[in-house]
Amino acid sequence: MDSITALLEGFATAAQPEFLLYALLGVTLGTAVGVLPGIGPAMTVALLLPLTYTLEPTAALIIFAGIYYGGMYGGSTTSILLNTPGESASIVTALEGNKMAKAGRGAAALATAAIGSFVAGTIATVLLTLLAPTIADVAVQLGPADYVALMVVAFTTVAALLGSSPVRGLASLGLGLFIGLIGTDMLSGQQRYTLGVATLADGIDVVVVAVGVFAVGEALYVASRLRHGPIEVIPVGGKWMTREFWARSWKPWLRGTFIGFPIGTVPAGGADVSTFLSYGAEKKLSKRPEEFGKGAIEGVAGPEAANNAAAAGVLVPLLTLGLPTTATAAVIVAAFQSYGIQPGPLLFTNNSAMVWALIASLYIGNVMLLVLNLPLVKIWVKVLQIPRPYLYAGILLFAALGTYAVNFVVDDLIVLLVIGVIGFFMRRHGYPVAPLVVGLILGPMAEEQVRRTLQISEGDLTALVASPFAATAYGVLVVLLAVAVVLRLRRKKNTEVTV
Amino acid sequence: MIAAKVEEYAFGGLVAAIGVFTLVDATTIAARDDNAVGPRAFPYAVGILLVVTGIAAIIATARGKLGQAEEAEDVDENVRTDWVTVAKLVAVLVAHLVLIDLVGWPVAAALLFFGAAWTLGATWWRALPIAVVLALVVQVVFASGLGLSLPAGIFEGVPFLDG
Repeated sequence: MDSITALLEGFATAAQPEFLLYALLGVTLGTAVGVLPGIGPAMTVALLLPLTYTLEPTAALIIFAGIYYGGMYGGSTTSILLNTPGESASIVTALEGNKMAKAGRGAAALATAAIGSFVAGTIATVLLTLLAPTIADVAVQLGPADYVALMVVAFTTVAALLGSSPVRGLASLGLGLFIGLIGTDMLSGQQRYTLGVATLADGIDVVVVAVGVFAVGEALYVASRLRHGPIEVIPVGGKWMTREFWARSWKPWLRGTFIGFPIGTVPAGGADVSTFLSYGAEKKLSKRPEEFGKGAIEGVAGPEAANNAAAAGVLVPLLTLGLPTTATAAVIVAAFQSYGIQPGPLLFTNNSAMVWALIASLYIGNVMLLVLNLPLVKIWVKVLQIPRPYLYAGILLFAALGTYAVNFVVDDLIVLLVIGVIGFFMRRHGYPVAPLVVGLILGPMAEEQVRRTLQISEGDLTALVASPFAATAYGVLVVLLAVAVVLRLRRKKNTEVTV
Repeated sequence: MIAAKVEEYAFGGLVAAIGVFTLVDATTIAARDDNAVGPRAFPYAVGILLVVTGIAAIIATARGKLGQAEEAEDVDENVRTDWVTVAKLVAVLVAHLVLIDLVGWPVAAALLFFGAAWTLGATWWRALPIAVVLALVVQVVFASGLGLSLPAGIFEGVPFLDG
């Protein structure tokens, strides 16, 4: 009951005109960057991190959460209407959505994606509201060793289980952890890996790294193999408000939600996994499996709902444990930290008003996003057509600006360029960039917790696995790894048979 | 194919090399011994992770398991890597960071936008005015709106442009 009162108070805050405007700004920006290829929510939040100097925490976090949710909506428009889908989280949507658009049923595909996102986003936010305080209550009792265990699980899943190449994912994680080491050690005051350079003594700013790998790395990579010629956008056709539309959509929406949310919540998968699972489920349950691959509406409705539910699910470990499991979530943790707030179980007691205003703004943002993406979808189609030379020139300009504006020193731009070039080569060779960002932000936190654990235990290493919670977490991790290995082997066998 | 392999070896080697550097440099971190775990332990772990994954990436490459290049909406999988464009963009970024302190942010930014757009195939007489207007607008917004001033350079003392 307490949390309902708190939520209502949150609504009272979030419904103030000022905060409504911030939410609108966030979801609009988020949809725009979701629609546009080449930029995503992680980079946008990173670029806007300097805002934290001028805005109060609640306002900034409402904007960032809006960008995060909005990015999920915008991505579906692109994958349905653009002939050349990319962006992993919405790639499944492209499978059926693109076919529907080409067959003149674009309006129905866009509508089921937008309404599905809204339904899933809202239900998932309700689940977040109900679950988060309870989890936070339990999490308060976790000790440093338990946090170490959670972080090890997060590191392993983000780096090794999600990508196509575990080795490259772990290498990317290692690079992020290394960048996180640069600077002055918080506990002993020792400088590490600064090479005596004064700029490096304070460490490399998260903004510089995130903007470097996402913006500069992506721009260089796209430029190296840019698709020339006109941008082929499929015209939106057909009607969607039909009985058949609702009849075929509502069940996939709900199924997608209940597939997506748990996957987002446990640190075991980003949105991609949930969309693939939802697509598989819809294909299996469909009475017309022959339509799949030719434009089945269930194949858009389910994965899009799963996608958004997973996005909301990611906020559960983020807010209750301070554990980011996606690149965007990691950058949002950095935003909390720049206010001196550590997301985690104490958030709900120490910053209760702020958290509840943030959660309330998620409900409001979802309604705004439905309006922005259903009746106003034509605007985003225009945005999608921005000529690519200007788009990528703009991305580079704002990347350089955002980096320079952190400290107003040119040295940061040199670091940006170096990290950008590394990001470029990572993309060329299948090294995922998300583990790097997660490692950068979680690394220093993990080190602190390890050292605290061992300080308490006076160097006894068994303290790291002694608590029941930590032991369970490692046990679950071992099971997860075993399942992943079996699945990988089986997949290999299958492909060998079919080839 | 051979070029891709060489690049993969080089990147794996780079990861391992950073790992070696991490390990070697960790020995120079001053550590007091009254702590159970000092500032060295974590760097050792990170160094080992980098060395192992770097070598594993090299072995994977040798066994023919190359990394899959990332897919993106604007990426054409059927064209060869255009190194000249990449080099030009890097050059434009370098010019930008050198010019900020010499002639000020507005000029350096206009050059960055124009250079990048032109390199990527925009018509120069269309890109140039957009670049100039965009740079000036950002400069004004920063100088007047946010109260953070970007170095005005040649526009020093000009109202609105110099915060």
